Amino acid sequence: MSRGGAAAVAALLILLVLPPFFVDDYVQFILDLILVYVMVSFGFNIVLGYAGQLAFANAAFFGLGAYTLAICLGRLDWPFPAALFAAAVVGGAAGLLVSLPALRLRAYYLAIITLAFGELLRWTYVHASGLTRGSSGLGVPAISIFGIPVASDRARYWLFLALAGLTLWGSANLLRSRFGRALVAVRGNEAAAAAMGLAPAVVKIGAFAWSGVVVAIGGAMYALLLGRISPESFGLSQLLLHFSIVMIGGLGSLVGSVLGAVILTAAPELLRDIPGLEEIIFSLLLIGVLLFMPKGVAGLLGRLALFRERLYLT
Amino acid sequence: MALLEVEGLSVAFGGLAALSGVSLAVSAGTVYAIIGPNGAGKTTLLNAVAGYVRPASGRIRIDGRDTTDLAPHAIARQGLRRTFQNGGVWGEMTVLENILVGVDHDAQSGLLGILFGFGRDRRTERRAVAEARAILARAGLAGIEDKRVRDLSFGQQRVIEISRALVSRPRILLLDEPAVGLSESEREELGARLRALAQEGTAVILVEHVVDLVMAVSDRVLVLNSGQVLAEGTPEEVRGDAAVVEAYLGSA
Ligand SMILES: Nc1ncnc2c1ncn2[C@@H]1O[C@H](COP(=O)(O)OP(=O)(O)OP(=O)(O)O)[C@@H](O)[C@H]1O
Ligand SMILES: [Mg+2]
Repeated sequence: MSRGGAAAVAALLILLVLPPFFVDDYVQFILDLILVYVMVSFGFNIVLGYAGQLAFANAAFFGLGAYTLAICLGRLDWPFPAALFAAAVVGGAAGLLVSLPALRLRAYYLAIITLAFGELLRWTYVHASGLTRGSSGLGVPAISIFGIPVASDRARYWLFLALAGLTLWGSANLLRSRFGRALVAVRGNEAAAAAMGLAPAVVKIGAFAWSGVVVAIGGAMYALLLGRISPESFGLSQLLLHFSIVMIGGLGSLVGSVLGAVILTAAPELLRDIPGLEEIIFSLLLIGVLLFMPKGVAGLLGRLALFRERLYLT
Repeated sequence: MALLEVEGLSVAFGGLAALSGVSLAVSAGTVYAIIGPNGAGKTTLLNAVAGYVRPASGRIRIDGRDTTDLAPHAIARQGLRRTFQNGGVWGEMTVLENILVGVDHDAQSGLLGILFGFGRDRRTERRAVAEARAILARAGLAGIEDKRVRDLSFGQQRVIEISRALVSRPRILLLDEPAVGLSESEREELGARLRALAQEGTAVILVEHVVDLVMAVSDRVLVLNSGQVLAEGTPEEVRGDAAVVEAYLGSA
């Protein structure tokens, strides 16, 4: 990294670390939520944008992350790092599972099957009440990391920042590596990718599994943030929100995912006082983006030449 | 022993017999041309050899090893590379990235290393980029390495596709009409390049309609017609074959 680049990263880090000193609880909550949705939309983007797979299991990965964390913490009394690791592993395994139909099925069937997978999980959360406490919801106990309690909102924000930072940094590296190139190659022309010795199936499985890991960590953060989770948080409206963030931010764009998460988390809060307006604006925004800005906000910025990020990362 | 052996290969699409009982053998260090009229089954033959089409019967062997039932990527890993008649470059990648996908093939690095940029992986990546740049320089493409491939001319895309196929020094190279879209001088360059490859020991299998190029560079020529072998031999033998002149060369 150049010296200017390092300075910019340092400045950005400081900017990101500071907010808890200046904002009230409410704004702090919104910032935490933004970090959750950055994770969620970026993870979704790996499958939807980079791998080009029409799979809608994102709310499922999200819910699995949240429930795994809550169960490991609250019911099994695991320490937080172990519970978080378990959430990531379960997310990755779910991603792997979902990738199997993706290897055989084409667009619409894959979309339907993955939607069904999400609904099936939601049904399971309701009915496996011995483990999940069903519709009444499952509480998430306070956590500590290696003996240090994460008691304040500030500490939680910093924890989220670290988790999101590490995961996104890792993901960006992954997409910039030969794996990312393989992903774009398979998406662009599967026959040509195989002709270079790449196994398309392995590449797709990897993308789904990594997506599952990232989104499940986001789900675990969500559980920590809310302190109580219930099945209805992980249904179709959650999925629609994830999808909208990816589409509005920009398919296949990392920076777009961040922008989309900021816009769609902050906007509803600003519009909250006028009933119904939130949903209307939300829908109009999505329709507008799909019709007029197929590459989302990131694509629009790119066209304005204010800012350039390529559809793929290299 | 021949490097590539095809024995009694038949391929059917529904009721259509695209290939019937085709046999051929290609030795290392030779240019082997496959010619024939449109729809003769040339592309189908390449597709079957590379694993993209399952034959109804017949065997394919690479260096004595049966590859008939392997998937395309597994066959590619036997040291076989191919280009596509309709082009197989990745338009949204840059020229350098297209080549890098070929270089990546040899990389060995763990997931954690990639995720968090440990030293060895940074080095792997740097080495890959350096190697890709060297390949581009040799192919005369150094000036356009950061251009998106879809913005380039058809001829340049062809050259990139062939360069990409050559990255990992394949033992067997299948080219499907590589001269389409090339100028006269580019064709000559291509011919010289194919000869040089054969000189280095590669088995080059060339599907081509440009008869002059075929006659100039090939060691042997196979003529396909309606999925069957019409003739096989040296360029001179094939050129003098009455059936070939009637079915193909005469009309070309
Ligand atoms: N996937 C497919 N499904 C059905 N029919 C096919 C398929 N691929 C090829 N064919 C048919 O098989 C026959 C041989 O086609 P092929 O593409 O191998 O011919 P070719 O010799 O490469 O022709 P050209 O010179 O036009 O490229 C043609 O009749 C073609 O229509
Ligand atoms: Mg053809």
